[in-house]
Amino acid sequence: MHLMSSFTIDCLFAVAFVLPLVGVVLSLLTRRFSWNNTLVQSIFILSGFAGLIAGSYFFALLGIGNSASFNATFFGLVNIALNSMQVFFLMLVYGGVLLTSLYAIQSLPPYKDVYVLPTLNVASAFFIVGMQATILSPSLFTFLMAWEIMSVSAYFLVIADRSDESLRAGWLYFVMTHIGFACIAAGLLLLAGGNLFASWHDVALSALSATPLAISVAFVLLFAGFGSKAGLVPLHQWLPYAHPQAPSGSSALLSGVMLKVALFGFIQGVALFPFVPSFSAFLVIGIGLLSAFFGALRAAVENDAKRVLAWSSIENMGLIFSAVGIYLLVHGSPDSAVSAIAPSIALFIILHTVNHFIFKTGLFMAVGAVASKTHTRNLDELGGLAQRWPIFAGIFLALSLAAAALPPFGTFFGEWTYFQTLASGMTVSALFGGSFALILALLALVGGLALFAYVRMFSAIFLGRARTTHAEQVSPMPILLWLPPLSSVLLSITAGLFLFPILSAPNAFTEGMTLFGDVAVLGGASMNAWWVLLSVLSIGVLLMVFRRFLSNRNPARITDTWDCGQPITPRMQYTATGFSAPIRFFFKSILMSEKELIIEPISMSNPWIVRRRLVWSIQSFFEYWLYRPIGIAVFAVSHAVKKLQNGVIQLYLLLVICALVLTLATTL
Amino acid sequence: MTYLLITFQALVVLLSAPLVVGMVRTLKARFQNRQGPSIFLPYVSMLSLLRKEMTITKHSSWVFRVVPFVVLGSAFFLALVVPSLFFGIVPSSLDNIFLFGAVVALGSVFLVLGGMDTGSTFGNMGSSREMTLAALVEPAFYVSLATLALATGAWGMGGIIGHFTSLPWLVAVPPVIVTLIGFLFVLLAENARYPVDNPATHLELTMVHEAMILEYSGTYLAMLEYASAIKLTALLAVCMGILIPFGISAPPVTFFGLGVALIAFFGKLALGAFAIAFIESVIVKMRFYRMQEYMMLAFFIALLGLAVELIVLYH
Repeated sequence: MHLMSSFTIDCLFAVAFVLPLVGVVLSLLTRRFSWNNTLVQSIFILSGFAGLIAGSYFFALLGIGNSASFNATFFGLVNIALNSMQVFFLMLVYGGVLLTSLYAIQSLPPYKDVYVLPTLNVASAFFIVGMQATILSPSLFTFLMAWEIMSVSAYFLVIADRSDESLRAGWLYFVMTHIGFACIAAGLLLLAGGNLFASWHDVALSALSATPLAISVAFVLLFAGFGSKAGLVPLHQWLPYAHPQAPSGSSALLSGVMLKVALFGFIQGVALFPFVPSFSAFLVIGIGLLSAFFGALRAAVENDAKRVLAWSSIENMGLIFSAVGIYLLVHGSPDSAVSAIAPSIALFIILHTVNHFIFKTGLFMAVGAVASKTHTRNLDELGGLAQRWPIFAGIFLALSLAAAALPPFGTFFGEWTYFQTLASGMTVSALFGGSFALILALLALVGGLALFAYVRMFSAIFLGRARTTHAEQVSPMPILLWLPPLSSVLLSITAGLFLFPILSAPNAFTEGMTLFGDVAVLGGASMNAWWVLLSVLSIGVLLMVFRRFLSNRNPARITDTWDCGQPITPRMQYTATGFSAPIRFFFKSILMSEKELIIEPISMSNPWIVRRRLVWSIQSFFEYWLYRPIGIAVFAVSHAVKKLQNGVIQLYLLLVICALVLTLATTL
Repeated sequence: MTYLLITFQALVVLLSAPLVVGMVRTLKARFQNRQGPSIFLPYVSMLSLLRKEMTITKHSSWVFRVVPFVVLGSAFFLALVVPSLFFGIVPSSLDNIFLFGAVVALGSVFLVLGGMDTGSTFGNMGSSREMTLAALVEPAFYVSLATLALATGAWGMGGIIGHFTSLPWLVAVPPVIVTLIGFLFVLLAENARYPVDNPATHLELTMVHEAMILEYSGTYLAMLEYASAIKLTALLAVCMGILIPFGISAPPVTFFGLGVALIAFFGKLALGAFAIAFIESVIVKMRFYRMQEYMMLAFFIALLGLAVELIVLYH
């Protein structure tokens, strides 16, 4: 029986891995037919489905403890020992593929003049395979190969519409991702003692003999490499440009899943270290919190809907990485009170990884659906869509609330775990008390800003009156554009109800714990998603009953908005820009926002007849203070080097001779 | 029995909520040398609003109609979990401090959505301001809640208040005075009182809360006004319960205890209403664009309270 089921898991994983490649071949063979896209997406869906079943089967069979391991042989071709963490991240990939491919069946065809669909689907297939291979890789070399396949195919997703903006964003991404790749390769090779073909086991073995300095350097390199992929500040620069340029389904995969693969890479990389250097935890916490704050702040003032989501991804990855840093700090501490913090923090990391995947995938697809119907992503031009699409507005609202970590959605329970752990952890020692207090305060601010960003985005798109004729006369939403986001909403609630209790005590269910019991974290604080949902529902019913019996039952009179006796137009409403004006003002120095009144005279004779324009801009703090100085320095150096490159052949010959002499002198 | 007590306690808060608003208004009028309305006026006005016809703008969607229910629902939840008469009766997973904070935020968010779904600049402006305030008050709110939890070793509102009732006043309360001041800042901001907002006018220069609910009328307006009264009462009950824990008891409850608790509760509400009326009479409203100073001050006071608490804990 056991042999049989392990064979089934093996087959399903193999099918999930190979199907996208089958999709590539079919996509190219059938590219002249109109059903090409549907066919390829169906194959992707099958792949995701097979993978999800394999993963669920794996957990059902082996439990969700850390020790679960499974040998995947892919019909005897290879031998990969899969652990539960790998399967967990694989399931995120499969879930993402399933949802976004379902979405792509109807979302891509309207864009067939913008994207070359068969090519786009080939890039998607390689992207999906690359992510899976990155997670499955048993050795250093295959990992780097798979990572590169993932990165390069993501580049083709970013430049899919071949516009100038996309090419620029793609170029930025391409450069940054290869700097990151170089860091990762260097860091891992440093650990492996230069052995490119080492398996993870060998890498860990050779890391044992590495010097502390090499360990420290390797850690910083790995953090920079994986951090740049995960969009951590200050190497985040590419993310808000690149992610929104891809087709929406692909953006969902990039933001919802690829960032998690970067997280996976980092966790797997850190596991190879014999010990982590003492500064490392503080580095990771600091950079994580900085990313969370900066991402949330920029999300609150951004005007491009997809870019709001991209900044919010930076925020959420920052939250997760700050928790990873705390885990590094407390994990394995000899003090049992300190190491007791670790399981609760780990619970947050896992929950938030899942929750962010769920709501971010859903939101990218939902924003993509809005953009494809209204032909704009600019929040200032949207509005009033809730009257046209009531159900879709509800889905979007639920996803926004989930993203803002409000009850009763799963994200709230994840973040509750984090807050509660920090608060309880303050009792451990004075040092932890002080630092956790500051982290808690900063997290609350980040939470507040994220709340602002999502409320602003939802109300700018859906509430009030439509500002353009496109938005006023939108056609009904096709089913496959709202079904995947709706699944995300349901998944988000499910994550709170099921995942939260199950993951909080992986092994307790054999001992009679039920799903409906309280979830206790560090310090004995407890939470129960079922109770919260129950009280939400019962208060709702109670209010409905009151409304029915206590108040005036005549139907409401539909009138104009109160207008002081003068007709009001949609242009008089607050725009998203206006909505965030207080935040721009309060955080002026960090956002480097500037407002300027430009006065241009029209008539020479009369100084009073002028044209006035108000322009405002936000500058990237890191671009100004970090990237620009580096750019200036590079240019200065190249100007200096230019003196050597004066085109006189004798000088070049002299240089060659100098180089030869220098080489000989050093080698002999 | 426990459920009966929870229901009774929630009912007391729900029924006394308009009274608190009435007391603040009348006391404020007395400070201004006016006679002022009866303290029972809010009951009358809310009941009459319930009977009136509603008008709803044609530029709104279903969100506009859902808002009063969610806002009032979140206020109901606060009334349910705040230990105003008894502690230790609400399940510990429901009166958790961070859930409390999140439910307050949920109410604010929906109020903001209601203001945005009108197509009118008034509502939009109120929403923009309220959302900014709600976002920036979070750090002070969460830090002061965490400090209270840390000081008492309990993670629920009931446990926190219970701790204060069990110890002599001089031992329990003075260490958290700083935090209480921070909490007062939060209370004023969350309830749209001076110096953050002026609850008495519909003037565009001052308005936050009143601007958001400008388009609401009839039943929905009654629900929203009731919700804000409940929120004020609930937060006031927390504040006063910590400052003067007298009268709050754990089950089993005797009739005598119940009477003492009720009298003490109304006494505390009257004191709280007096304090708010006093504060509102001696200070002026701040300009909205100076709110960052207020929020920073609230945050630093809350953080100072936490620092004091940590020092107490480790020395």
